[in-house]
Amino acid sequence: MSERIGVYICHCGTNIAGVVDVASVSKWAGEELADEGVVISRDYKFMCSSLGQELIQKDIKEQKLTRVLVAACSPHLHEKTFRNACKGAGLNPYLCELVSIREQDSWVHTDKVAATAKAKAITSGGVARVIHHEALEPLLVPIHPATLVVGGGIAGIQAALEIADAGFPVYLVEREPSIGGHMAQFDKTFPTLDCSACILTPKMVDVGNHPNITLLTWSEVQKVDGFVGNFAVTIKKKPRYIKTEDCTGCGICWEKCPKKVIDNVFEAGMGNRKAVYVPFPQAVPKYPVIDDVNCTYYLKGTCKACEKFCPTNAIDFNQKAEEITVEVGNIILATGFDLFDARRIPQYGYGTLANVFTNLEFERICNAAGPTGGNIVLRDGKTVPKTVGIVHCVGSRDRNYNVYCSAICCMQSLKFAHLVHERTGAEVYNFYIDIRTPSKGYEEFYQRLLEEGTRFVRGKVAEVTNAARVPEEAGKLIIQVEDTLIGKQRRIPVDMVILSSGMQARYDSKEVAKLFGISCSADAWYIERHPKLDPVATMTEGIYIAGCAQGPKDIPASVAQGAAAAARVMGKIQQKEVSLEPVRATINADQCSGCRICNNLCPFNAILFHEDQMVSEVNPALCQGCGTCVAGCPAGAISGTGFSNEQILSQIDGLLMLNRSYATVSVEK
Amino acid sequence: MKQYAYYPGCSLESLGKSYQVSALEVARSLGVELLEIEDWNCCGATAYFPVDELLAYTLTARNLAKAEKTGLDFVAPCSACYKNAYFTNSYLQKDADLAEHINYALEADNLHVNGTSKVRHLLEVFINDVGLEEIKDKVANPLKGLRIAPYYGCQILRPRKDHENTENPQYFEGLLTTLGAEPIEYASKARCCGGSLIITNRKAALDMVRILLQDAVNNNADVIATTCPMCDVNLEVYQAQVNREFGTHFSIPVMYFTQLMGLALGIPPARLGILKEQVSSASLLAIAQNSNQERTL
Amino acid sequence: MVDELSFSYEISNLMYATHGEPITNCLQCGTCSGTCPAVEFMDHTPRQIIGMIRADLKDEVLASNTYWTCASCYHCTVRCPAEIDIADMMYALKRYSMWKGSYQENLIGPDFSEAFVKMIVNSGRSFEPLLAAAYLPRFSARDIIQEGLMATGLVFSGKMPLLPKKIKGLKRFQQMVKRIIPIGETS
Repeated sequence: MSERIGVYICHCGTNIAGVVDVASVSKWAGEELADEGVVISRDYKFMCSSLGQELIQKDIKEQKLTRVLVAACSPHLHEKTFRNACKGAGLNPYLCELVSIREQDSWVHTDKVAATAKAKAITSGGVARVIHHEALEPLLVPIHPATLVVGGGIAGIQAALEIADAGFPVYLVEREPSIGGHMAQFDKTFPTLDCSACILTPKMVDVGNHPNITLLTWSEVQKVDGFVGNFAVTIKKKPRYIKTEDCTGCGICWEKCPKKVIDNVFEAGMGNRKAVYVPFPQAVPKYPVIDDVNCTYYLKGTCKACEKFCPTNAIDFNQKAEEITVEVGNIILATGFDLFDARRIPQYGYGTLANVFTNLEFERICNAAGPTGGNIVLRDGKTVPKTVGIVHCVGSRDRNYNVYCSAICCMQSLKFAHLVHERTGAEVYNFYIDIRTPSKGYEEFYQRLLEEGTRFVRGKVAEVTNAARVPEEAGKLIIQVEDTLIGKQRRIPVDMVILSSGMQARYDSKEVAKLFGISCSADAWYIERHPKLDPVATMTEGIYIAGCAQGPKDIPASVAQGAAAAARVMGKIQQKEVSLEPVRATINADQCSGCRICNNLCPFNAILFHEDQMVSEVNPALCQGCGTCVAGCPAGAISGTGFSNEQILSQIDGLLMLNRSYATVSVEK
Repeated sequence: MKQYAYYPGCSLESLGKSYQVSALEVARSLGVELLEIEDWNCCGATAYFPVDELLAYTLTARNLAKAEKTGLDFVAPCSACYKNAYFTNSYLQKDADLAEHINYALEADNLHVNGTSKVRHLLEVFINDVGLEEIKDKVANPLKGLRIAPYYGCQILRPRKDHENTENPQYFEGLLTTLGAEPIEYASKARCCGGSLIITNRKAALDMVRILLQDAVNNNADVIATTCPMCDVNLEVYQAQVNREFGTHFSIPVMYFTQLMGLALGIPPARLGILKEQVSSASLLAIAQNSNQERTL
Repeated sequence: MVDELSFSYEISNLMYATHGEPITNCLQCGTCSGTCPAVEFMDHTPRQIIGMIRADLKDEVLASNTYWTCASCYHCTVRCPAEIDIADMMYALKRYSMWKGSYQENLIGPDFSEAFVKMIVNSGRSFEPLLAAAYLPRFSARDIIQEGLMATGLVFSGKMPLLPKKIKGLKRFQQMVKRIIPIGETS
């Protein structure tokens, strides 16, 4: 018995009807495709409108339709609309197909006659295909209420707090000894000039004290198994060599430790820490760690001063790493950014000329708890600069390094200018290409800096050198730049140069992405599901991204993304189960020869191999229905529901209009 | 014996005579055979590109074609010739249309070019092919205490060939250290000497030369070592003009790196074209000779 | 079909394709001009020239001495964040101005290049004294004397040839040149 197919051709106002003769396509389908099973064929101005949808629903009921074919816009836009319409009328939504005669026809052709003929072909293809559709049910997968947040910076902290405050358990994993991220290193934050630590530490303390947050610092994720709603994550807790159940955080161990180490992480190489240390005084948790690479005990077997002096006997040099596995339903990656290495630009002198600083180094200089006690001084630790040059766009907006704009450096450079004015009275130059101040209060901040008498020079700095040519330049750092607003090359002598180095993806972001089964862009930032409309989800269900890991952004945006990811997760948790699109691949075990070619082809790690039976199997929860394995299987043993060989071949036959009367088309010259 | 297709370039037969002489001496001493390309023509330097690009590439392609016949690497001691040859060669590989055009012209001279040679500068041939270890073994008179300013100039470094360091290269310094000398750090080591501007815009070129000389002198250089005859002439022959123009009193010797290599290898100065300069290198010889008890001939 | 090519389009066509990004990509950041060692002697900075080309200010660009003051050191090219080959663009402007015969008065560059090209075509090698004829006429008397003294010094140290050299395969060489451009003309 053949199917009863309803065909609906949309005008889309004049978008389609302006080029395609929709009435004739509809008439043609009703007449020519009747032998395929088309019982009713209509055209309508806007199929996606409620009236349009009601048309379909009425026909389903009255004409007892078993299949629906809509020829309109791209499925990306309204596939869901029409599927829901069918569902509302009692027809399985997957028995409806939407073919595009807009993006693929009326929008790309000007020849109306040819376009109309093409629309007929597309409709015919769709009808041939939809006959082979099967009724499918979405998969329902239960959601474990716990969440894993990877990364304890401001985005991760925000996400963790939101979920925990709502009453759900959170595991917060951070690979440094304390949470806080880069924000903990800053002095003031723009544009309000809030003290960074002052606004961050209350949130950090909340995290540390929260009954619903299991804080795992000095830890890293090793393995991720499972799928949305049911992840099993293996976390390695690196040995702190401190028994946290006994440690009170009193600090005697690091006070007594004789081994000083240059702190390249928190102090950006500007200051020291001890071999046993907390990265900064407000660290959460308060437990120190022993750096077993530099600690004298691990190097030579001697010292042990910390153990001698610890009042609660909390030092344990033999502590081993511990691996735990946790079950979570969703994962949020908030792993932050790395700084562009300014040494890659030798002409700026970083690393060769002493008084050239990076932005992170300068933050530590300004920070009251930093290596200079908040005094802005040169490398010698005492001289106050009389002139300071701040260089924008270091490593950013540059095809030789990173093409993108790092979003925050202009504001950061303005902030630095302000701090220099405030604390030293020095002459300040900012060298920029554009001043980017898009958010609330940002442009006003720029105006403030103008009023403070900052000298803005529009020109990307060509070089920083100490080769003086005239007496005024002797002993100074000379910034050579074209002042583009006056069209002259200038050499400006300064005492201190601050490079606003751009942001980069973490050095291991590609490996981390692979671990979690998501993708990175060419610049190594994690890729969001949709750059405009879905910035915190990824193509992998259950994995979300937030903060700078997704791309350069300021603190308010990071917080917003952390909260957004948390909201998405909580929405899933509330639903208790998630329904997954049934469009996915299935392997016919009888035909599978166990060659495993498909295993490595799958970009979502969705194919398992059963050793005992020597066959592969697709995990329907992870499978995104991309079709790569279907094409790759040499035995043709894999079929895609919703994209079966039968469906595709039929659609091709329908498109080619074989065995069908095809009015010869005369093409306009 | 390592063999190379040697392209001296016009300058080495005239203004850069000492470069030619010292290069051949040093090559011989290090077991490098520089086989001069048969009947080579001028590469056009920087003067052809203002007129016709295709012809400019064709001139160089003729020399490349001759080198290809020998199957040896193409070696140029002059940075401008080197740059022209390198990029002509590279474009021949990448652009089939260009290759077709050029080969059509070369046909008239019974030649054909494929772009398969490797194009090298003499400096890096010594550093990479002979190797610093072997050179160190052959150094008979280490140039102890001689402060040399390594002058790379432009076209040996730029435009960039691959992602190598063009802002702060160190390979020339490596060679000078191997010779026992003390290379100095100075910011202008890759700054232009003015090149052909010495003719077409003398004021500009003299200013550029002055800045280089000043930087080398400020950093206490005893001598400036060059890798290109154009640079050498601008820095040395026109030093007097610089002094006249700007009221300076420069009198710093400028020598080709091959002359310095020759001294270190124990070759007599006369065979290296030394003491034939406008700015006398007598002071430099004194330093070089004072730091050594004996010289081998 | 475009009736007349804009100046910026013409210049883009004169820049050989493999060299770099098109000049339309210029951010006007000023790195090139901040780097250029000869910029003090140019009436417009390299960045301004690119701006002027994009604004199709053909006459002003051709009348500028900027591109004739370029030493082709390529420092701008390697530093340009938009990866534009600016030095090559200067060569393109030189070629354009020679082709149109339109450039500032009293510049030595065009005559020098023309003389150089003629010399090579006639002999296959360069010969300094011949080139002198191209530029000495523009020097002051004092400068000519100084140039002469310097040349004499070079002759005595064997660094100045007194007779021009010719390559052996000159005839075929000239045939080769002819296949690119007719001998004797410069365009």
